[in-house]
Amino acid sequence: MKALLFERQVAKFAAAAVAGRLVPGKGATVGPISLQDIDEPEAPGAGWQRVRPRLSGICGSDLATIDGHSSHYFEPIVSFPFVPGHEVVGELDDGRRVVLVPILTCAVRGIDPVCSQCGAGHPNRCERIAFGHLEPGLQTGFCESTGGGWSTSFVAHESQLVAVPDALTDEEAVLIEPTACAVHAARTVLPGGSDTAVIIGAGTLGLLTIAALRAVGHTGSILVAAKHPAQRHLATELGATQVVAPSELNRTVRVRAGAMVVGDQLTTGASVVVDCVGSDDSLAQALSIVAPGGEVVLLGMPGGRTSVDLTPLWHRETSLRGCYAYTRDDFATATALVADTGRGRGLGHLVSATYPLARYRDAIEHAANAGARGAVKIAFDLRHDKERSR
Amino acid sequence: MTLKLRMPRLAFPFTAAPTPASVEPLRPKLRTGIDYETDWARSFGARLARLALLEGVIGPTMRVLATPERRGLDYLRDLEQPEHTQPVIFAANHHSHVDTPLLLSSIPEPWRHKMFVGAAADYFFKTRITSTASALALNAIPIERTRVSRRSADDAAELIDDGWSMLIFPEGGRSPDGWGQPFRGGAAYLALRCDVPVVPVHLEGTGRIMRKGSKRLARSATRITFGPPLWPDRAAGDDSRRMAARIERAVAVLADESTTDWYTARLHAHRDATPALSGPEAPSQWRRAWALGDRGPKHRRATSRRWPDLT
Amino acid sequence: MPRPGFVLDVDRSTPPLLFWAGEGFRLERLPADRTRVIYPPEPLDPLPHPEAAIRQALLNPLGDSKPLPELLFAGMRLTIAFDDISLPLPPMQRPDVRQRVIEAVLDMAAEAGVDDVHLIAALALHRRMTEAELRHAVGDRVYDAFAPSGHLYNMDAEDTENMAYLGSTDQGEEVEIVKRAAESDLLVYVNINLVAMDGGWKSTATGLASYRSLRHHHNVKTLQHSRSLMDRHNSALHTSNWRMGKVITDAGVKIFQIETTLNTDTFPPPFDFLMKREWEWSAKDRAVFLGSSKSLARTPNRLARQIFHSIKAPHAMTSVQAGEVDAVHEETIRNVHRQQLVEVEGQTDILTMGLPYICPYNVNSIMNPILVMCLGLGYFFNLYRNKPLVREGGVLIMSHPTPWEFHPVHHPSYIDFFEQVLAETTDPIRIEAEFEKSYAEDEWYRHLYRTSYAYHGVHPFYMWYWGAHALEHLGRVIIVGGEPRAVRRLGFMAASTMNDALEMASDVVGREPTITHLHAPPLLLADVK
Repeated sequence: MKALLFERQVAKFAAAAVAGRLVPGKGATVGPISLQDIDEPEAPGAGWQRVRPRLSGICGSDLATIDGHSSHYFEPIVSFPFVPGHEVVGELDDGRRVVLVPILTCAVRGIDPVCSQCGAGHPNRCERIAFGHLEPGLQTGFCESTGGGWSTSFVAHESQLVAVPDALTDEEAVLIEPTACAVHAARTVLPGGSDTAVIIGAGTLGLLTIAALRAVGHTGSILVAAKHPAQRHLATELGATQVVAPSELNRTVRVRAGAMVVGDQLTTGASVVVDCVGSDDSLAQALSIVAPGGEVVLLGMPGGRTSVDLTPLWHRETSLRGCYAYTRDDFATATALVADTGRGRGLGHLVSATYPLARYRDAIEHAANAGARGAVKIAFDLRHDKERSR
Repeated sequence: MTLKLRMPRLAFPFTAAPTPASVEPLRPKLRTGIDYETDWARSFGARLARLALLEGVIGPTMRVLATPERRGLDYLRDLEQPEHTQPVIFAANHHSHVDTPLLLSSIPEPWRHKMFVGAAADYFFKTRITSTASALALNAIPIERTRVSRRSADDAAELIDDGWSMLIFPEGGRSPDGWGQPFRGGAAYLALRCDVPVVPVHLEGTGRIMRKGSKRLARSATRITFGPPLWPDRAAGDDSRRMAARIERAVAVLADESTTDWYTARLHAHRDATPALSGPEAPSQWRRAWALGDRGPKHRRATSRRWPDLT
Repeated sequence: MPRPGFVLDVDRSTPPLLFWAGEGFRLERLPADRTRVIYPPEPLDPLPHPEAAIRQALLNPLGDSKPLPELLFAGMRLTIAFDDISLPLPPMQRPDVRQRVIEAVLDMAAEAGVDDVHLIAALALHRRMTEAELRHAVGDRVYDAFAPSGHLYNMDAEDTENMAYLGSTDQGEEVEIVKRAAESDLLVYVNINLVAMDGGWKSTATGLASYRSLRHHHNVKTLQHSRSLMDRHNSALHTSNWRMGKVITDAGVKIFQIETTLNTDTFPPPFDFLMKREWEWSAKDRAVFLGSSKSLARTPNRLARQIFHSIKAPHAMTSVQAGEVDAVHEETIRNVHRQQLVEVEGQTDILTMGLPYICPYNVNSIMNPILVMCLGLGYFFNLYRNKPLVREGGVLIMSHPTPWEFHPVHHPSYIDFFEQVLAETTDPIRIEAEFEKSYAEDEWYRHLYRTSYAYHGVHPFYMWYWGAHALEHLGRVIIVGGEPRAVRRLGFMAASTMNDALEMASDVVGREPTITHLHAPPLLLADVK
């Protein structure tokens, strides 16, 4: 079968890190990822199914991996070589369409009894992601044993599969996974009543978080910092109260909160700031505009080590929390949300372009520059791949 | 063998013949003092040399030595005319030899390079060397301290009529004790005669740089305050004496302004309460010196030696 | 003898015309046979003895007022208010007229033995003046005499303790001015009347007032009915100020008004060619023009700005009058008209103008896009009597680079207004209803206005209202050479050349429109028949 394979090749990894810094997405050309013909992964045991992907999205974490600036933290919880791709809508051998819940939890890994987090209904916090009968891997798409979505075939445990209602298009279905992340974040932070939420970044995650906040019932204002003009329109459509450029965000929050300014710090500000970018700058900005006692949420995958002045965090009793993945409940909500945001239409139009696997370099470059090129989500389209029918 | 060299004794006609004792000697042709001819100092070459000296040496020196603060220059603006430069007589109080170079480097264009200075004939024009230096460097003309002599007045008036401006210290000499002396009538006489305005100027602090009798220079901040031009007004009864009093009063008001502020000085002036330039009437010298306050000479305390120096 | 202003009909032999464009200028050829150019009158001869003229005016007041010396007495409270940094433009060479007048007033006060004197920069909601700016306005002597003891200062309209409420007019307009001015035995207001809008009751009722008071006339309704702002008797803004003046008089405030007019000698040599008619430029003028416009094109913005803002105008005083407000102001208007009035026959389809680098609110600062709008639509458009130079539904074309740049210290609320309010709407009525209050009461802007050098939070709104009459009147506004992003945010259109602009205008006014070019600065006032 055809698959994009990510191998452990130190020299290429270093080259990708350089290239990716110069031209985002260039890691696909010089890095350790390549299109190969490999054997289909074997089912590790009973209860596993073969999934043939139809659409498979490119996520920010994938891009960070390919461009070589993901954190060393991941090293022990991924296994090489792996096939990336965890935002997948595919079909089973019997033709049913399913969406993948990619987290490789205790249930998937055949660990019984399950860890305390899985038992408590927090599969995203699973304590056993590097153990059990699978190779280490936090999700499908980072694990050698399962294969991944950027191929014509992979295996998934039945607990990982969610049936797709017939009414959903593939484009809508492929957005369920990222939407579930956003729903999870929205539920975690849901600001009270008329409080203001600020979202930094209006890429896929930022936009979906706007929709998710509205879906879980946030009625207060949502301020969004969007870098690119096309994003502004989408953000407004999804329910943002005001969309501004990142450089204008501090002033906007100040005006709305009626704050004073001390140095770069607003004296009061938004009760919740969701950072969907994950850079030093976005985190520092988040800390400068959050109200005392407020919460800053890291939703975008951070770029590893950061250097941020934590004094305001300490002095103003700000909470800084991470927000990763989702629960099954979030998935259910996301499935409903992609079909209908309650604002006229679903989210399918956020899939801006699809590419065949063979054009993976173009696809990845497009995804890495999505905002600037007026796009949101880029996906691989495997529906027409000859390999699928073999 | 010895070689004896003997100088031949020169005599007339190789030397000048002695004047017979019974005959009145001829006046020397090269004259100094009040009779010194200064026309050459206004030739093109001399003016160029003076410009270089003023801008290249005197100005920078004064900036370092006296860090002058110049105020009231705006009063001069109304005297500027596009077509011709109104000649002006600048009349200032006098503490120090620094006053002249300091003022010459403080007076703005268009007067700056068309100035001459009235200098005491008995001091600046004593010898041929001092005369030449004064004429060249300051464009000084000799005048007499005590009275308006015919010759110096004619010279000055001629120059003013030619468009030159004059710098004069009507006190007639440097202050012996830091307080002013009565103003003499020269400036007033010339203003009336040539119908030009007198700009009163007050100098503060030059006495600390080099007061009369001192041989050393000390750096000190100075303040130069220009006042509103005084026009001679014959209709209002101005004569030399009254105008000289007006000038003195104007400088006294500027002195007041430089120690208080402009409005206080105006209040005093209108109440006839401007402190006199000549200071308090006091029988003893120390009380006059005491009243000078911090305007008096500054004494630098000798820096104490560090001892023992253990490093 | 200075020549009066005149209207030139452009034909094929007319040279290209000078357009100001921010920190630079451009030469533009306008279509022949349907374009006319209004040239300002040449600068009037100044008063030969300004000092004597001031004294004369103070001793022989107009209207129902005693000579100043008779109003001064020992033990009185005297307050002298003076116009702020927004006048004159560009700032004038030393000595400033304010200095001359204030020194004359103070000299009389000293003669009367007045000890309790306050000097107040009448800012209203403008930014505070820096020490250097105050020194320039009142002179070093006055500054050194009063500032160190705290008797010369910028007013603070947000210092509620020191503002006095004097009552309200029959239309319910509240009047609140600086308490010290209201409670003095005599308030002397020293004006510079650069244009016909300045002075009269606007001095006290606007210059010394607070937001509480200003909002009654600095609003869209009033300004849409001020036709024009420069015509005191047809301006709702002025009518309101005059009503307030009555409240001030009735409250017992005694005012001695001093107004001065300047000639339009705006630029010092070698830039005096900017005031000449193009065909009268000498070889030297042309060389300076070529040299300066070529080098300015290569100069970084910042430096160019510094160069231009260091220009001090050789303005000279053409008249000074003192006494009772109304009588003084009528005489002042006559004197402003004597200098600035040009008769013009009828309106045209298009009005063109070149906007210079300076307007009343960016002295020593940056002309931001909102100020570009205000200068073009608020000031230049309003330089008319009777009816606007351009017909209703016509097009205004102005040249200015309009960079997206703001002075962060002087104009903080402008930045937010531009980013947040104008992004939402450019309709003055909506802006006033939805946003004004929150900006006016914003604690942070208030803090910056009071302690830093910032215009008040509500000031950008006033800039927008200033153009409200023009916005309502015009069919389209085009900025030649403007930065497209910023121009679009203003709700206008950006054109890269004058020809493009005329082309863009054609779908509003047709293919053969008539054009008027306002050849200013120097300033003029068009009397449109």
